Parts: sequence; C-alpha cells; structure tokens
Amino acid sequence: MRVHVDQSRCQGHTLCAMRAPAVFELSDMDGHSSAIGDEVPANQEENVRNAVDSCPEQAISLSQ
Amino acid sequence: MTTETHDAADNDRTELKARLRYDFDRTAPDYKDNFDSITAELHQKCPIAWSETHGGHWVISGGPDVFGIARNGEALSSDHDIANQRRGYQGIAIPKAHQYQMGFLEMDPPGQRHYRQALNPYMSPAAVERWIPFADDICRAVLNERIETGSIDFVEELANVVPAIQTLAMLGLPLVDWPIYNEPFHAAVYTPPDSPDMPRVMELVGTMLNNVAAGVASVRANPRPGLIDAIINAEIEGRAPTDDEVIGTITLLIGGGFDTTTALTTHSLEWLSAHPDERDRLSRNRDALLDSATEEFLRFYTPAPGDGRTVSADFEYNGVQFKEGDRLWLSWAMANRDPQMFECPHEIEIDRKGNRHQAFGLGVHRCIGSNMGRMMFKRMLTAVLDRMPDFVVDSSGREAYESIAMMNGMRHLPATFTPGRRVGDGLDATIERLQKVCDEQRIAEPVTKSTRVAKVD
Repeated sequence: MRVHVDQSRCQGHTLCAMRAPAVFELSDMDGHSSAIGDEVPANQEENVRNAVDSCPEQAISLSQ
Repeated sequence: MTTETHDAADNDRTELKARLRYDFDRTAPDYKDNFDSITAELHQKCPIAWSETHGGHWVISGGPDVFGIARNGEALSSDHDIANQRRGYQGIAIPKAHQYQMGFLEMDPPGQRHYRQALNPYMSPAAVERWIPFADDICRAVLNERIETGSIDFVEELANVVPAIQTLAMLGLPLVDWPIYNEPFHAAVYTPPDSPDMPRVMELVGTMLNNVAAGVASVRANPRPGLIDAIINAEIEGRAPTDDEVIGTITLLIGGGFDTTTALTTHSLEWLSAHPDERDRLSRNRDALLDSATEEFLRFYTPAPGDGRTVSADFEYNGVQFKEGDRLWLSWAMANRDPQMFECPHEIEIDRKGNRHQAFGLGVHRCIGSNMGRMMFKRMLTAVLDRMPDFVVDSSGREAYESIAMMNGMRHLPATFTPGRRVGDGLDATIERLQKVCDEQRIAEPVTKSTRVAKVD
C-alpha cells in the first residue's frame, strides 16, 4: 500500500498523525502532513485507512 | 447574453431560490432549542437552502455540500471591506456583528497567507508542545482554588481562566491582567445584539480594546517575544500592518483563544457528568481514547458554528448557480451532524472512527489555534479527571448562552465533587511564578527560534 498527502489540500488539521503517527509526520512550522516514505508497513495499514477517513480536506490518497 | 437569455437565467434563479427557500435565523430566540430539528429539516429538504433573512443568503448545512463549496477557495471571499476600497464585501458574520476587520479571518490571500506564515510557527503542533507544562501548572493552580470546597463552576473557575492566561502568555501580555480581557469578550459573544445590556457590554469591550492598544505600545517600546511581536514585525504584501490591522488581528486571536476552548470544555464536562460510565472508560483508557473523544466533542458541540462568505466569482455546485456578490453561510455545526457523513450523528461516541469533522473549518482559514485549543482542552480535562473524578453537574445552575448564534457556549456550569487536597501554590502565586518562567525561558518565541519545552518547577 502506498500513501500520498496532497499538499495543495492539506491544511494542517493533524488528524492523520493522531491516527497513524508512525506513517505521517507534521511540519514544525505549520503542522502540515507528509507521509514518511511511500510504502506503508503492513501493520500500519488499518491506521492509515483510518487516517484517510479522518482527513476533513480528503487530502490523503492510497494506491497499491 | 441577450436580454432574453438574461431574463430567462434570472427567472431560473428566482425559481430555484423559491424551491430551496428556508428562512434561517440563528438569532431567533427559539433557535437554540430547535437546533437539532432545524438541522434535520435542512438536511432532508434543502442542504443548500436560500434564506431571505439578514439581507438574503445561502445556507449550506449538508456535510458533503459544505465540503464541496468551501473548497472553491478562489470563488469565495472572506474580505471585510470596511472602507469600501475593494468590492464592499461584508466579511464572515451573517448577520453583521462587528464594524471592524477581524484580522486575517476577514482577509483573502495573499495578505491572509502572509499573516498565517508569520504566525504559524507560534501555533504549530511543535510550538504547542512547548507550552504543555505551563498549561498543566495553570490547571493545577486553578483547581487548587476550589479543590477543598467540593464545589466549582466549571465556566467561571476553570474553562474561562485557563485559556485566558494561556492566550495572554502567547501574545506577550502580562498574565496577571487576564480578568480585564476575559469578561468583555464572553459578554460580547453571549449577549444578543438587541439586548438592553449591549451598551454596557460595548463599553467593557472598549476598555478592553484600550488595554490591547496599550499592550501593543508596550511591546513596541520594550520588545518581548510572542504573537504581538510577530504581528507588528510582519510583512504583509510588502508593508507593515497598520495600527487598526494589528488591533484587529489581536482581537481575532483573543476571540479565537478564549470562548471557543471554554465552550468545548464546558459542554464536554457536562456530558461526562451525565455519562459516568463513559467518563470512567475515558479516564482508564486515555492513551486509546483521549484523542478520539476530543475530536468527537469538537464534532458534536462545534463551538464556532459557522462562517459567512461572499461569492467573488460565479460558480455552479450541484445544479445551483452561485453569483458574484451572493452571501453564503457555511454551517460547520450542521455539517458535523450530517448522517451522510457521520453514523448516528446526534450521538456522542468517544471512540468514533473516520471523524472528519469541520469544527475548525475547511480550507485556508482552518483555525490557526486548533492545536492550542486541543491541547488546552486535554490538559483541563485530564486535570479534572485526576483531581475531581466523581464530579456531578448541578443542572439547576447550568446556564447556556442566551444566544448561540455566534458561539455554542455556556455561562455557568456548577458541579460538586469529593473534596481533595491542594497541590502546590494557589493561582495568584502561580501566575507570578509563571510570568517569570515565561519571560526567562522566552516560551512565547516561535518554534523557529526555540524548540525547548517549558520547564516549570
């Protein structure tokens, strides 16, 4: 599973990092999110799906 | 367009508005009691509605619709054109509530973005981390004032106090002055505009704004770190902010910092009192539940219920033509109760997943204080669960705001609990000590200057 945060949509709500802190890191400057690496570890897949569903801006996308 | 097609288009729009007609008035006396049913009605009949109230405006209440429309950032303006120098747009309050530009909330990019860039390093998750020990110490001292009595007003004696002191610390204003800023702001928000009490409230607000101006002058004369320092030194579209813009921005930060967190905390404590099993479950499983519970309380109570916009360029959404100049109300609060987005939306589920609520808004105006608000809420809640875990709200003394048009808040929430022991010093001594901590450690500096967490003995 690969995950991507659309930087033009992310507004720093930080919900993704609450759900999957091992996968999303937040900018010190403004709290905007980016994925740590492209490939999601298998044991994080459920957390990442929760994170996708938790983003108010629908900024996170998954692909295989 | 020919006259004929123009008339036809106008007729279509008139017909559409008639079909989507729902007269919506958050300032009506019965609005507070009927919020749930009005929300359900709008969702069923017209999640995009046309209301003739307050000069005529669209009311967007459907979750997917608020999301879909709010994303048209370039077609929606938040501008409040006070001096009528641009297009005369009327800002984010519907009905009109204030005669000044409320900082960058009532601006559009690029200026709006420049303010955000200047202030983000003071409000990011990393910046907020540094304040946690400070916030904890305020909570400790505030609860000390009531812990031995077995009774507390959660509004007056906790939820009003902590955000006020914390916000002043971030601004770079003297902590001891928190009462000067506190009541005027709350009163301005909970007093209905036509109340006979309004003149008194406006006078209080005037005094408070004089204090803000004096505070700004003081920071200019004797520089110290914080949000005021950031604002006065910011470059916004190539120039420094004017005095009015500085005051407007500070007013926004105080308004955003005070009432909202207070409202969230108070409502949540009331619910936890009424659901002691859930309170217990939350307290025993904080690692697993504190974050999701916080987001759920935000969704359900949405302290800042919505924001207005002016359409700045024609656009179409779901068959509705929005025209330049149209006024539009984005109801975050109603979107947050949409069954299309949230299962059992009128139930609080502290472990709710997929909670993509809009309590902090959507798009570039996402509440800049959101991380701070969450932190203060969690620290206050944690302190209460630790020191007065069996609190019981006295519903006969509970008093919500008379009007929830601007803020879904409460004025009083008395509760009783098994008395406990004081821990450390009281509020006055703590404020004095924390002022020194703040000044010496320069905690109010941006995270770009320092990542050092506050050290409070």
